[in-house]
Amino acid sequence: MTKPHAIVIGAGFTGVAIAYDLAQRGFRVSVVERGPIANGTSGRTHGLLHSGARYAVNDQESAIECIQENIILRRIVPDAIEPNGGLFVAVQEEDLAYRDKFIEGCAACGIPIRELTPQEALRLEPNLNPRLLTAFTVPDATFDPLRLALAFAASAKAGGAQFYLYTDVVDLLRDGRGNVCGVKAWNRAADRRFDLLAEVVVNATGAWVGQITAMAGIQVPIAPTPGVMVAYDRRLTQRAINLLNEPGDGDIVLPQRRMMVVGTTSFTIEDPDYVPVYEDHVALMMERGSALIPALRQTRERGAYMATRPLIGGTAPGRSISRTFKAYDHAETDGIDGLVTITGGKATTLRLMAEKTVDVICRKFGMDVPCRTAETPLLSYRKFYL
Amino acid sequence: MSDEKWTVTFIVFRKKDEQPVRYDTFTLEVSPNEYVLDAVERIWAFHDRSLVFAHACHHSTCGACGMRVNGVERLTCITPIREVTRNGGTVRVEPLRNFPVVSDLAVDMSRLYQAMDVVHAQAVHPLDAAPLEGDGIRPPRQVPQPEEEGEFLRLADCIECGLCVSACPVAGTDPAYLGPAALAGAQLQSIARNPDLLSVVDCAEGVWRCHSAYECTAVCPSNVQPGWRIMDLRRQVVAQRIKALLGQR
Amino acid sequence: MNEPKKLHSRGVLDWFDPRGRQVGGWGFIINRISAIGLTIYLYLHLVMLGKLAQGPEAFDAFIATAKQPLILFGELLVIIAGLYHGLNGIRIALTSFGVAVRYQRALLIAVVLLTAAGSLFFAIRMLSIH
Ligand SMILES: Cc1cc2nc3c(=O)[nH]c(=O)nc-3n(C[C@H](O)[C@H](O)[C@H](O)COP(=O)(O)OP(=O)(O)OC[C@H]3O[C@@H](n4cnc5c(N)ncnc54)[C@H](O)[C@@H]3O)c2cc1C
Ligand code: HEM
Ligand code: SF4
Ligand code: FES
Repeated sequence: MTKPHAIVIGAGFTGVAIAYDLAQRGFRVSVVERGPIANGTSGRTHGLLHSGARYAVNDQESAIECIQENIILRRIVPDAIEPNGGLFVAVQEEDLAYRDKFIEGCAACGIPIRELTPQEALRLEPNLNPRLLTAFTVPDATFDPLRLALAFAASAKAGGAQFYLYTDVVDLLRDGRGNVCGVKAWNRAADRRFDLLAEVVVNATGAWVGQITAMAGIQVPIAPTPGVMVAYDRRLTQRAINLLNEPGDGDIVLPQRRMMVVGTTSFTIEDPDYVPVYEDHVALMMERGSALIPALRQTRERGAYMATRPLIGGTAPGRSISRTFKAYDHAETDGIDGLVTITGGKATTLRLMAEKTVDVICRKFGMDVPCRTAETPLLSYRKFYL
Repeated sequence: MSDEKWTVTFIVFRKKDEQPVRYDTFTLEVSPNEYVLDAVERIWAFHDRSLVFAHACHHSTCGACGMRVNGVERLTCITPIREVTRNGGTVRVEPLRNFPVVSDLAVDMSRLYQAMDVVHAQAVHPLDAAPLEGDGIRPPRQVPQPEEEGEFLRLADCIECGLCVSACPVAGTDPAYLGPAALAGAQLQSIARNPDLLSVVDCAEGVWRCHSAYECTAVCPSNVQPGWRIMDLRRQVVAQRIKALLGQR
Repeated sequence: MNEPKKLHSRGVLDWFDPRGRQVGGWGFIINRISAIGLTIYLYLHLVMLGKLAQGPEAFDAFIATAKQPLILFGELLVIIAGLYHGLNGIRIALTSFGVAVRYQRALLIAVVLLTAAGSLFFAIRMLSIH
């Protein structure tokens, strides 16, 4: 039997992880991406490899996925991760009200935490706000966004996947019955247009999924929801520092290389192609970040940027394969075969999203191949170019 | 901050496939605090969808967005427009030198990745392999170690942006030269600890190809100081060779 | 895997283009130019020695032309080039073995200052002799 051909649109985290999994499970894979690898939301993420503790109170399903995937990614992509752990820190009386719920939630989700006295915490991280009230260690980590994506892309390529970069999908190809059978593409690097036929097209375009489904006349209720992050030019901690409270704006301060990165905010927009970085958001990051690490005030801004979450409307008709991300088989939701849309999730759960999505696709093709991506370490990201 | 607006003309290098190079101009209203990459992305979003350029992290951790801005190698995501022009001025944006151009502003950096691979440059290494000198803000000089997990690890300073290769006059005339970033990657591991590196760097395409222009150190956005590291690597090579000579006697 | 593609580079021309270069780069460029200049001078010098072998008349005629201001100016250039190239050569030799690399900029400035001082000294001497 010849391998079925799958086209993956988008080479963000979702796209590259799906391409890798598809290639491993016996598909012939083509990835069509309009820019370089991870130029969309994925490249611009904050870079926190979540321990899940952030969600342990409000969204335990996410939290459990995070801790499991956190452990897997540390093993399979060691060269994109600073595995130094994290702290949750209470700085105000009101933060302490969250303490008990936090301990309970982490226990329920299997996230290993340990409470420190303020003195212990300050010994570990001398630049923390000296007025902190309590702190917990959590197994957070920092990841390098581009290299995380490249490691999956390199491994997909080794499995035979072909990457068409700087190539926009400008339309979907339809067969006589209206089903999707490929894409019309525009290679901007060579200014050449071509058609690519496939048995299945996977729409992994994150905040842009609605633009692709619209090409088949399908509406998906996506609200592009950007957030701003600011990088400062000095590294002040070794661990990720989180505010011990409900998730909010500017409550995570992350070390990365020689920088500290503070994030993030949340607002909705219409068109995700270009979102300006608002200066009041930048000022807010400094204000919130320096509440956790006062020395941030003595650093200089090195970069300010934004990324766009694809938030899914609550009444979405899609079949939810997980509450934390959505895969639509448009044969089921809209009667149009050959197109699968996947969106949502987190960088931390990219491998799991791919596993679940490729499970759905394999079922469509009557293939019974187990997922093996959790077991094998990925190739070095450099192999993508070699 | 302010709502200050500048009008700036961007002169952009364009190249598609085998077509000849041309320069396009785009006049934009920008905030001087914005970064050059923001303007380039806006040109793509609102003026010309055929523009090809590379970028990912937008905060100097991925190394994708290197370009030549007014003739100098820059990481465009952290280069404020204020630093490279004035209100009513121009900014010339060109791809990096010494790599093949994929199209417009994007280059093929395989040569750099190949060299990094040859010297097994580490992407993540122990904190003490490149200490943070702190500059006055309670430097964690004696970095407390995580109790159970062992040593702290840290993403390497070198973000593999290729600015040093672009700025190096020698890399332009010798495509096989390992280049500043890879030699710096070798120096960080130290030949004493990793003797296999000796034969890789002690050759015409290695440390001895450098002609001391120090352009690499001047443009490196990430504190790697490749120029210094190449010279230190030479010292290591000579020390190893002398040791070997004495040992053989 | 990929066939070798042409580098975006002007090759050896980029060695001599000072635009966008920093202090170290200028040092590099001037070293190359002075080296070429000295090599040309070496050739002329050998030609001159050849004249010497042709007998005293040829040599006297040559000395007469050599005293023209243009030639004197050329000699001054040779002195500048020689001083710069030699002093910078010492700088490169030092830094090549890991000595004082962090101070390469300061060393280069010292090289230039010494070259200027030395050139001035020789220029004054040349003028006062003729
Ligand atoms: C502000 C912010 C901070 C975040 N921080 C974290 C964090 O710290 N930790 C964490 O785990 N997660 C984080 N996330 C979540 C995570 O970044 C996203 O879930 C993830 O990046 C989504 O990846 P994606 O592949 O679905 O989308 P994208 O990365 O956006 O990929 C979509 C791709 O599709 C391409 N595309 C679009 N249209 C077309 C077309 N017509 N033709 C071809 N290609 C096309 C785009 O170029 C793009 O590359 C954060 C998200 C945001 C918004
Ligand atoms: C004072 C004595 C001199 C010293 C210390 C010296 C030193 C050097 C050094 C260190 C280099 C290598 C530069 C590099 O690595 O790029 C060099 C190159 C060179 N030198 Fe000299 N030099 C001296 C005299 C001369 C003279 C008298 C000539 C010509 C007649 C000359 C011609 C050259 C040439 C052609 C090069 C190669 C071009 C280059 O790499 O720059 N040198 N010299
Ligand atoms: S050494 Fe510096 S300039 Fe060169 S690739 Fe690394 S970070 Fe970039
Ligand atoms: S976009 Fe990543 S370094 Fe500039």
